[in-house]
Amino acid sequence: MRVLFAVGLALLLLSVESVVVKYLGLTLARIDVTVAIVAFLSLRSGLLEGAAGAFAVGYLLDLMSGRPTGLYTFLAVLTFLLGRIARSLVEVRGALGFAVFALAADAVHGLLALAVTWLTSKTWGMGALSPAGLPLEVLLTGAAALCLYPVLQRFGPVAERAEPGLIELHR
Amino acid sequence: MQHSRDVLALLKRHREPLLVLLLLAYPLVQLLGAGARARAPNLVDRILLAATAPLQRGLVTVIDAAAGAWERYVALRRVERENRTLRAEVQSLRTEVGGMQEARLENERLRRLLNYPEVESGQRVVARVVGISPDANRLTVRIDRGEADGVRRNMPVVTPDGVVGQVLRATGSAADVLLLVDPNSRLGVRVQRTRARAGAAGTGDDRLLRLDYLLRAEDLEEGDAVVTSGTDGVYPPGLMVGRATRVQRQGSGMFLGAMLLPAVDFSRLEEVLVLSPPGTSPGLLPRAAPVPARVEGPR
Repeated sequence: MRVLFAVGLALLLLSVESVVVKYLGLTLARIDVTVAIVAFLSLRSGLLEGAAGAFAVGYLLDLMSGRPTGLYTFLAVLTFLLGRIARSLVEVRGALGFAVFALAADAVHGLLALAVTWLTSKTWGMGALSPAGLPLEVLLTGAAALCLYPVLQRFGPVAERAEPGLIELHR
Repeated sequence: MQHSRDVLALLKRHREPLLVLLLLAYPLVQLLGAGARARAPNLVDRILLAATAPLQRGLVTVIDAAAGAWERYVALRRVERENRTLRAEVQSLRTEVGGMQEARLENERLRRLLNYPEVESGQRVVARVVGISPDANRLTVRIDRGEADGVRRNMPVVTPDGVVGQVLRATGSAADVLLLVDPNSRLGVRVQRTRARAGAAGTGDDRLLRLDYLLRAEDLEEGDAVVTSGTDGVYPPGLMVGRATRVQRQGSGMFLGAMLLPAVDFSRLEEVLVLSPPGTSPGLLPRAAPVPARVEGPR
């Protein structure tokens, strides 16, 4: 159920984003709404359920990017797994905590995207890939996560952990 | 027998991590196998794209309607002031019209003289840009016309200003267009003034193209118009691509270095024209204005 919700939400948000980006004329950065959803899955879902959800969300991003190569499907699952590891180290509470978690996830996702693309293509150094837009992208994604928090909460609290974590992010 | 039972038990015990590993490995293998090449749309892709296309179209319509209503409201407030200004302008323009009429007649005469074709055949599909790739590193846009409208992969896409790109993927009611400025875009071009042939490639920056393989001995100046050569099998010849800039003539090497300022403003794409495959004429609109060609010998 949570996977279907994540996929439906990702499909809706990606469609809206592609139109909004057109009107806003954002050329340098996009809002990684899918990473916010993957972050939610890593905090809230079980291993298999979350990985399947992340796979589906990444597949959608790949598809909507116009040139599906599998890159974002791979990165979504990887980000989900890294998010699961992070979840065991930090406690995420409240909208702000979730936004910071999504922000960090997007930074990792963006850097991994650059690294993997660099490793698998010959276009590095020709302006094809640029980390210049990453800080803005990360901030926009954090803001988007903050806005998405109430919607995601409808499918259960973002994180519930009995034991205290190493870093605590309070509301 | 016991061994296979043990393996099965092991697989069953670690079923979850193995499935997750599979979910991670499958796209990685696909990525490593295909590289930058995109896969052809499968049934799932087609269904998902068909689901998003109406939503995108609807959103564009709603936003346009809202923007239009606001513009009309603002326009009404300006109308009276503009009316006064326009009355004054009408008087001065009337005097200019006489002169323009003369220029028009002269233009018609010259066109006839050049035998410039007014109407050209070939299928053209007018499409609307309804979305942009959610990935900043993949410069593609989505248009609201697809296979049902005759749009096919590799069809050239243009605007009245010049070349936009080519259709990367078409589904029932939508298509993705790879912009000229995407790092994966390549096309054959010609310097309009000298007719020298070269290649142009996207840089990933939507305000810059790279001019490749133009011999160092060729004459190229800043601002020279560059048009499609028609040699790449995708774009018909004579379409405006951009203007030369940052021309660098190195001391050695076979080719000179230069960039192009695209003729099309990719950040403001609204409506585009999808042309028929090469072999049919593209029409007058996007074609660069003809200039007398200088014959420099066989190329």
